[in-house]
Amino acid sequence: MTWHDAGAVSQLESEGRVVTRVAGREIGVVRGPDGELHGIRNRCPHHGGPLCFGTVRERLVGNPGRYEPSGRLVLHCPWHGWEFDLASGVCVDEPTMRAAVYAVRIEDGRVFVDA
Amino acid sequence: MIDCDIHPQISDPEALLAYIEPGQRDWFRAQGPGLGLPGYSWTHPVGWFRADLETANGNLPGGSVESIRRELLDPFGIDAGVLNADDAVTVSLMPSPYRAAAFARAHNEWIRERWLEAEPRFRGAIICPAQDPEEAAKEIRRVAEDERFAHVLLVGGSERPYGEPRYLPIFEAAAECGLPVAIHSGGEGMGIAAPPGGAGPSTFYIEWHTLGSACSTMAHLVSLLCHGTFERLPNLRVLLMEGGVAWLPGILWRLDTNWRGLREEVPWLTRKPSEVAADHVRFSTQPLEHTDGNDELLFEMLAAAGAPDNLCFASDYPHWDFDDPKFMVNRLPESWRDAVLHDNAAELYGERLGLVRT
Repeated sequence: MTWHDAGAVSQLESEGRVVTRVAGREIGVVRGPDGELHGIRNRCPHHGGPLCFGTVRERLVGNPGRYEPSGRLVLHCPWHGWEFDLASGVCVDEPTMRAAVYAVRIEDGRVFVDA
Repeated sequence: MIDCDIHPQISDPEALLAYIEPGQRDWFRAQGPGLGLPGYSWTHPVGWFRADLETANGNLPGGSVESIRRELLDPFGIDAGVLNADDAVTVSLMPSPYRAAAFARAHNEWIRERWLEAEPRFRGAIICPAQDPEEAAKEIRRVAEDERFAHVLLVGGSERPYGEPRYLPIFEAAAECGLPVAIHSGGEGMGIAAPPGGAGPSTFYIEWHTLGSACSTMAHLVSLLCHGTFERLPNLRVLLMEGGVAWLPGILWRLDTNWRGLREEVPWLTRKPSEVAADHVRFSTQPLEHTDGNDELLFEMLAAAGAPDNLCFASDYPHWDFDDPKFMVNRLPESWRDAVLHDNAAELYGERLGLVRT
């Protein structure tokens, strides 16, 4: 694994994500509403959508007729809305599907992913 | 063999009217042979019944205990059969919930005294005024005390799909009494029911019979699953009757796919809807679609949707689209026969049928 420059921290902060290409694969870093950063492959295992362009929001739970926030942030694919665990890249509701995840670090105003 | 769907006919309206409360009896009598039920806007071009059945002594086909014994129970070795109200199940679609409640009470008593008392292989279906769910729940609890009643019977035609919270008292009462709820196609577009099919009223009976029953069955299945009815009532079982089954894999795959992307709308669904259906929903086989030689494909598709564990045999005697039990024995894959013809229904009805094989 090697650290790759994925873009500027300023771009990540203004757009919510940066995406780079490593060995033919698009890898992105997304920033959740809590400010946490997550490195994840920019390809949804369901249909190939650009996963990093989805939205990070709280997964809802509840009893019939009741909607409650779970406190758990998940990444919603921008195409079909499937929900992905940010730490593992596993599709929460279809665990047979998983997007690769990568370590992230910030250095000198740049975002790096270990891929 | 257990038959989940036998339709006893009201050959003598006066016999049933005797069970209507005195203050309402004259109203029902004044409505004529239809007894004030909504009536069908689309009717079979020739007749509702198999034309070969006996109609002696003014009886309708399936209009006497003796005829059902002779034409169904005895020749096919039926161990138990559930008597599902025929037109009477459309009480739920009468504009007046008060008339509906009176008729349902009378019909349940008529079934008890005229049929269940006469033949131990018969089991009853409790009909109720679904347009007044609290009253319906009362009737279910009242009748369920008699353990010869095997399920609650709702009609496919409805004002709203049955997962709507307004209908919860019905399902709560059934679950509390340990009764499955059977939803039998029919009545779509009649009385106060929503139009059949989803694209406006049909023109022909053939359209209604193809779409009305299948679409309402799909709608109730999807509604019950999406509203989390089975999460609310973990011991509830539902039997979907006479709406076809060939579409089942498609609708479950479609619902599962949508659930993965749209579960935020129904976050109480923590499992794939198809898994919930496998645990809680059963389907009657009749009318098993004819496949133009593709039975193997049909059974392979159904297996992907949980068959044979979710299928229960039904004949629909005495109707024209009846499934002959012997024909079904030959048509089903051999390894499915025991489950579909007996064991699944025995398990669904449990002690009320007393036919679970150990």
